[in-house]
Amino acid sequence: MNSARRSIGLSEGVLIALDSIWANKLRSFLTVLGNIIAVTSIILVVTIIQGVNAEVTGLLTAEGADVYSIERSGIAFSKEEAMAMRNRPRLTRADARFLRGEATTIAALSVGADRNARIEYRAKSVDGANIEGKSYDWALIDQTGMRAGRYFSALEVDRNRTVTMLGLDVVEELFPGLSPEATLGRRVRIKNLHFVVIGVLETRGSAFGFSKDDVAVVPIGVWQRLFGYRTSLEFRVKPRKPSMVETSMDEARTLMRIQHRLRPRDEDDFSVTSSDTFLDLYHQFTAGIYGALIGIVAMALVVGGIVIMNIMLMVVTERTREVGIRKAVGATYQQILWQFLVEAVTVSLVGGVAGIALGYFAAAGIASFTPLPFLLVPWSVAAALTTVMVVGVVFGIYPASRAAMLDPIAALRHE
Amino acid sequence: MSEPQMHGTGGCAPIIEIRGLGKTYDMGKVKVEALRNVDLDVRRNEFIAIMGPSGSGKSTLMNLIGCLDTPTAGTYTLNHQEVSNLDDNELAAVRNREIGFVFQTFNLLPRATALHNVELPLIYAGVSSRERKKRALHALEVTGLADRSDHRPNELSGGQRQRVAIARALVNEPAILLADEPTGNLDSKTSYEVMELFIELHDKGQTVILVTHESDIAQHAHRSVHFLDGAIVGDNRQTPRLISTEHTPAG
Repeated sequence: MNSARRSIGLSEGVLIALDSIWANKLRSFLTVLGNIIAVTSIILVVTIIQGVNAEVTGLLTAEGADVYSIERSGIAFSKEEAMAMRNRPRLTRADARFLRGEATTIAALSVGADRNARIEYRAKSVDGANIEGKSYDWALIDQTGMRAGRYFSALEVDRNRTVTMLGLDVVEELFPGLSPEATLGRRVRIKNLHFVVIGVLETRGSAFGFSKDDVAVVPIGVWQRLFGYRTSLEFRVKPRKPSMVETSMDEARTLMRIQHRLRPRDEDDFSVTSSDTFLDLYHQFTAGIYGALIGIVAMALVVGGIVIMNIMLMVVTERTREVGIRKAVGATYQQILWQFLVEAVTVSLVGGVAGIALGYFAAAGIASFTPLPFLLVPWSVAAALTTVMVVGVVFGIYPASRAAMLDPIAALRHE
Repeated sequence: MSEPQMHGTGGCAPIIEIRGLGKTYDMGKVKVEALRNVDLDVRRNEFIAIMGPSGSGKSTLMNLIGCLDTPTAGTYTLNHQEVSNLDDNELAAVRNREIGFVFQTFNLLPRATALHNVELPLIYAGVSSRERKKRALHALEVTGLADRSDHRPNELSGGQRQRVAIARALVNEPAILLADEPTGNLDSKTSYEVMELFIELHDKGQTVILVTHESDIAQHAHRSVHFLDGAIVGDNRQTPRLISTEHTPAG
């Protein structure tokens, strides 16, 4: 019986609330403005961060989450740190040979460097393509595979053969209308050297709107002939087992210190970073944004809640006589309380739903003008709705109890 | 409404039994005695008018009879239930079950249709929505407004609004119909029609308590109780001025 009474009160309360919202459109809009702002912020920020997350994670783990890097410069947290890193010695192929020879935990170690340059084929050319020099181990680590042709062989790398594997964008620019297979064996020119196309790379997708297929891979020795030997090389290391990442990073660090003849008190003059290192850092950063979001949202919700409370107090005063009528025909304290609470929660939810719609369109708009993907995160919608419901209850309970406590005789006499 | 017709006072236990009822308002320094030591019995199917000038205590008595307020002295038994010491929620349940209010100012919900207004007591009685609609329509039929069930109060005349209010008062089949100056806001012709409706309902077996200060309205009742300064000063049986056609109820 009690639940029957309640459910009737629920639908009735919702209808009364919607009716009253519709009857006072401007007032209702102002009432729920705080909620709209709060919920729009939740949806928008969560959507953006999740979109960036997807990009960043994809970027960092493209070669598999277990592959880590050894570089001259790591992540600098200050200008001084960044300057100090520049004075570190270059990483060389000798360092790489030493690591490969001594380490027990390393399955593959590729040496790489990259530089932008022009690629030419007859009258056509691509400016600013990313020319990547790689050692043979890159073929073992690379996850994306080949669209056509093959990776370079160990021999081709060792003998500094002028062979190249092109990205799809470069192929399309240089050989319009040709299939990837048809480009194999053709000769392209980078600076003063001619390269035989032996493979076309599978697409690597894009990150933040920039295609990663605007690329040509050449043996590292040839790359150094093109661009010089002074560039510090970046090592990409794949441990024997994914579970050995930590151990392998420790071993690599120890070996690098030996190779660079560092004394125990010296700091590392190189950086060992896994994709986790970047992800951790990135997650710290997004946690900061989420923290700020919670602050903004909490503030908007408190303001919104107070406005809702004020409006509900006004509504109760306006409808004192109605309360009197309802009490005269037998409404109990709980039933009146419930009615006005449902009304407050409904008002609050209407603001929440409007905020979700606004946030949705704003996020979709951002997605269409930026390279970010559009991911409406279900938990953000659920969290937003739950939050505004709680706001409705918390700030609605006082006006509702004021209504429920009205003396029926005085309420009936109220003008 | 389907009980045997019982004019007069014979035989039956009173539906209202009031003994030594008093109401004192504590206004801080002064105590105002609005009602003192009132004894009153009302039998089933009586048509009684409570009269008196304003400030005589008749409104206080109406609030007590209507279970909107509790007395500070004495006892009040309504339909075999002692109600003078119930809490607010128990009083609400008694109002819902036993009392049908008709007010001078109609007191309809302005944004609700006639039908919804009549359904209101049934909502708080926990009646299912289908059953509610059926009973509310029936009550509107009884008061002759079934064809206006989807109208809002501002689309109805004063007399029609009062008929909606009477339908609302009847819908829970209450023990008493408690009307407070029901014709106070109506012109004389409409007043007459509304009074005819009360007489008709009374003929069908309804107990009617009419609170009024207009003696020509009170003349429709079979008994009039006069108040002055918070006490009963007269209790007369009378022959109603208008004798409606005899009506034999069903059942």
